[in-house]
Amino acid sequence: MRFVKRHLIPRLLQYFLVTFLGLTMAFVLPRLMPADPVEQLITQMQAVGAGISPEHREEMMRTLRQLYGLEGTLWQQYVIFWKKLLSVDFGPSLFQYPVPVSKIIGQSLPWTLGLLFTTTAISWILGNLIGGLAGYFHYKKWPKLLDGAAMLLRPIPYYIVAMLVLIFLAYVFPIFPLAGGIGIGVRVAFNLEAIKSLLRHAALPALTLVIVGWVVNFQAMKLIVQTVRSEDYVSYAQFAGVKDGIIAFRYVIRNAMLPQLTQLGLSFGQIFAGALITEMVFAYPGIGWILYQAVLRADYNLIMGILCISIIAITTSILVLDLVYPLFDPRVRYR
Amino acid sequence: MRRILIGLLVAIVITSVGFGQILPRGVPREKTLILPYLWGPGWAPGNWNIWAGWRNQNMGLHQFVTDALWTINPNVVEGGVINALAAEPPIYNEDFTQITIKLREGIYWSDGVPFTADDVVFTILTVRDTPGLQFQGWMQDVEDAYAVDDYTVVVKLKKPNTRFHVAFLERWHALRPMPKHIFEKVDNVSEFDFHPPVSLGPYVYADHDPAGYWVLWRLREDWGRTVTGKLFGKPTPEYVLFINYGPAEKEILAMLKHELDVVQGTSEQLITLLKRGAPYTRSYRKDYPYSDPRDISVRGGAFNHLVYPYNIKDVRWALALAIDIVEYSMMAYEGMAAMSFAFPLVVNDVFYEWYFKPLLPWLENLTLDLGNGQTFKPWDPEAPWRVAELAKKMGYKLGIDLKDEKTVRLTFGYGWWKYAPNVAETLLKKHGFYRGPDGMWRLPGGTKWNIKMPCAPDPTSMDYIFPAAVAEQWKKFGISVELFPSPMAGHFASYGEFDVHGTGHGEFVGEPLGLHPDLYRCFNPLHSKFVRPVGESTLGWRGRWSDPRMDQIIEEMELVPWDDEQRIIELGLEGLKIEIEEMIGVPLLNTPILIVFDNYYWTNWPSPENDYARCDNFTTWPQLKYILHHLKPTGRK
Amino acid sequence: MKLIRDLFKDYRFAVAFGIVCLILLLAILSAFSPYDPRNAYQTPRGLPPSWQHPLGTTWLGQDVFWQLTFAVRNSLTIAIIASIISRLIAIIVGVLAGYKGGIVDRVLMSIGDSTLTLPIFVVLVLVSLVLRQWVRQLVNLGLLLAFFAWAWDARVIRSQVLSLREREFTFTSVLSGMGSFKLIFKQYLPFLLPVVFTTLINNMSWAIGMEMTLSYLGLGIDPSIPTLGTMIQMAIYRQAIFLGLWWWILSPIAASVLLFVALYWISLSLSEYLDPRARMQRIGGKQ
Repeated sequence: MRFVKRHLIPRLLQYFLVTFLGLTMAFVLPRLMPADPVEQLITQMQAVGAGISPEHREEMMRTLRQLYGLEGTLWQQYVIFWKKLLSVDFGPSLFQYPVPVSKIIGQSLPWTLGLLFTTTAISWILGNLIGGLAGYFHYKKWPKLLDGAAMLLRPIPYYIVAMLVLIFLAYVFPIFPLAGGIGIGVRVAFNLEAIKSLLRHAALPALTLVIVGWVVNFQAMKLIVQTVRSEDYVSYAQFAGVKDGIIAFRYVIRNAMLPQLTQLGLSFGQIFAGALITEMVFAYPGIGWILYQAVLRADYNLIMGILCISIIAITTSILVLDLVYPLFDPRVRYR
Repeated sequence: MRRILIGLLVAIVITSVGFGQILPRGVPREKTLILPYLWGPGWAPGNWNIWAGWRNQNMGLHQFVTDALWTINPNVVEGGVINALAAEPPIYNEDFTQITIKLREGIYWSDGVPFTADDVVFTILTVRDTPGLQFQGWMQDVEDAYAVDDYTVVVKLKKPNTRFHVAFLERWHALRPMPKHIFEKVDNVSEFDFHPPVSLGPYVYADHDPAGYWVLWRLREDWGRTVTGKLFGKPTPEYVLFINYGPAEKEILAMLKHELDVVQGTSEQLITLLKRGAPYTRSYRKDYPYSDPRDISVRGGAFNHLVYPYNIKDVRWALALAIDIVEYSMMAYEGMAAMSFAFPLVVNDVFYEWYFKPLLPWLENLTLDLGNGQTFKPWDPEAPWRVAELAKKMGYKLGIDLKDEKTVRLTFGYGWWKYAPNVAETLLKKHGFYRGPDGMWRLPGGTKWNIKMPCAPDPTSMDYIFPAAVAEQWKKFGISVELFPSPMAGHFASYGEFDVHGTGHGEFVGEPLGLHPDLYRCFNPLHSKFVRPVGESTLGWRGRWSDPRMDQIIEEMELVPWDDEQRIIELGLEGLKIEIEEMIGVPLLNTPILIVFDNYYWTNWPSPENDYARCDNFTTWPQLKYILHHLKPTGRK
Repeated sequence: MKLIRDLFKDYRFAVAFGIVCLILLLAILSAFSPYDPRNAYQTPRGLPPSWQHPLGTTWLGQDVFWQLTFAVRNSLTIAIIASIISRLIAIIVGVLAGYKGGIVDRVLMSIGDSTLTLPIFVVLVLVSLVLRQWVRQLVNLGLLLAFFAWAWDARVIRSQVLSLREREFTFTSVLSGMGSFKLIFKQYLPFLLPVVFTTLINNMSWAIGMEMTLSYLGLGIDPSIPTLGTMIQMAIYRQAIFLGLWWWILSPIAASVLLFVALYWISLSLSEYLDPRARMQRIGGKQ
């Protein structure tokens, strides 16, 4: 009970405060942009050759502003924003008018979540596992080789890794497709063909993301474990004859995992902003590209929709992490 | 753990080897034409409502779903306007307040309903009365529209307008008839998604990507009941797929794997594909300069006439004379582009006859006053040959006869201004400019001359390459140029926050109809009534230039009937002369069409010997439907 | 001096130090470049490496070697500014939050979390639009990146401090009258340093990667200013791989790999040297 009063409630308050601030920022920031969505739309229309003759430009802009509901003072729009938010209605997307924002997000978010959740989890698990083992047995040869490989891989820009993987596995050895989230004409469903197609198309993006993600986790974990390994209790366990493997797993890695958990939580939260370059290179559907286009087109509604979801996801995952952390590390007490 | 992963990988590999095809079952590759979906992925995929104006149209929407009353001829050698859904050109009454449009008979929508005058009338009135639809402003001129019979439409206008019908004349965009039998049942036209679409063209919707990267079209069984069928014949491919593969490298890989039949992009892409895709890949020409330079748009730099010192004519001329067009063309596009010296003066056969040849004597006599008694004639007719010579020196094998003047001018351009940096210096010094101790130019006030050029952020886009190469030329001359790539470049242009702006798409000033001599569309944005000061979004040309002489020409043109080609050309020439003399911007090159065709599955693409169409009709233009009957399958599976 | 000599005994430090010297030399050489890095078309294009052009020329007619010198200089500038400033902020914030706890902790973490919640390029687009000229200089880009980089690591440091706080030696030190500041500085810092150094390396490569991503999206600095990121970008866009101009794209990548390896080894050897436990490990034998 004391815990609840002294720690849980303040923490929850903090959570709501941060979320509120973040969402308000999500409302304000797009509106700070010098261009407004109608302006951007007209520019985009002209850029693809659907020009508007000078006489009709003003009229067009006026009617569009009305249509988009961009009238009213900032405060009024802010109030409406909160009302709509609480009923999960973000309004229609401005650059994809009249498709509702929730529909656009609903279509692209599952792809992002599917791809990024799995790759984040896989690269975290693999990275920490192998990193932990490599840190523990760091005097052996294989960890040194791996460390070297990771080190060389780390600074290579993601784009290059993606291109190389693509050239190698989709062109030189044409195993995987060049683009798309699923085969042309294949509907997303729970049949074998659809699942095979999904996996085939996700293979290369996932592979590149795992490679890049693994490297980071591996190096971080190895370093931590190397440090932890020198703790007294490890030496004690070794003298006591406990097997190396058990020491590695039960004692060292478990303890070293803690800072990595923080990172995992944050990574999960940031998934909701998508992986823009992955989507661009692999022509993979997802929310990163949508967010980028929304920003370019000053599509307030779409930006707000995606940002809101993203903010809530991140703050929630941080909250969960904070509350759960003491369970992992009994040494930590909150003052 | 490791074994499980390896097993999974092997399983995927094994099962996927059989799935080499990218097309779904039942869609044979040898019967499918795969075209690039430029500027994709699409906005609002699954929404085919082209009338609520803001979605990508070039993934088959304006190529196949819609058809227009009139359209420009994809064959740029023949030129002219084709009567598509209309059976003949529009008939105006004497004071241009009424138009009669006779429609072609025997055209049917793909769901079996006949296309009649009711569709056209419904379209005009709906667009006029629904806010937010694209041509609403234009249709405000309509007082009434009605069908006299099934194939005749009469439109009454509120005030005289000799060019009302141009709204329906398809260049890239136009007001096209909507199916009345579908749209009349809709409550809110601007929110209707028109899915699945009903086509008036020869292909119908088959499938699309919910993420917007591709759209698949299938040939209509009753293709004979379309304009294409009646005027041209059966289109050859049974399926057409528009697909966006992502960045330029992906397109190269796709074509090398024969999963993409056409690529339009940068000069590096072209060179790479021709080298690595041989013997299947080829461009418009077998040899240098490979590409088809005849797009109907001229690009260059636009000066901001409300900003010092670009409001001084001599300064503008100096900046133009400081550019070596031969080097520029080589830098930007490997010389595979045609130079043009005036904005709406596109490089093609018909404009050559209508505008270039009559201008030539005037150009040869055009003289600049350098001050203190000196004069200079800037016209350089030899520039196209110099590009060819430079290319030969760089090792390219030329495939054209350099003695054939017309061919050279239609390939490398009409000609340009002499590269005369000394004259440029004289002109600048005449106005008090001077070179500082570091060799860089200073404004008369003493500050360093810095030109701000916003441009598109994507380095493979024309809107980046053009300004970047110009910046290099001016830097060489000694002016500090700041290129500013930004997604907000269009915004800066429209608000006048720039010194020089690359003229991209949609700048009507450089985009004439191209196959008809009328230049009204290019001159109109230059009218003084549209100019707004810096800091406000301008309605007309971003360069904010205007001139009372031009205003007069524009107002006169408004009264000249569409078919009075002689008078139109006369006025056009006068307007051109003013634009050229004032150097309102620096027109540089005709938009190059760096196109590569893959002959693996399809052949008989356009070439100089078989010049049935301008090559970019295969990528984004709506006239695609009128040329698909030329393609021949190679028979490879 | 003994410190330096001891460090040099570690082969990794020696090699890394050499590489860093080489890279710094490259950066310094940029002042002597015969070519202005911002101009193109100054040499014949697409030439393979030769005596005149040690690393060949690009398709845009620039000498790759001299471009690289500028690229290294500029990238290092951005990376150093971004990572050092963000490390400083992270350490200060993390230690304060972890040690003091209570409201200080909550407020600091809230501020940090807020910077994490916004997808970085949304804010970067906005900043680059509103403060157009400002963002286009290297130093300012470094500052901007630093703003985004401290929050995560502050949390990591905070959790380290949290667990350190509960250790016996803390109680011992407090009981024996050691002031907080001295405690943090003398006792905690050696434990924190490995983390700080790892994250420093993370951060530098993150900064370089971010800079490249931003240039790719048109939101970064002027692309005619060579940095490792913009060089790679230009090479990709001009199809260096397909045109066979491998020297153009390999040079910046090789440079960044070398730079990273060098920094990593330096940080490793330094942190091992400083960490009392690891030192025991090294002296005491293999296990």
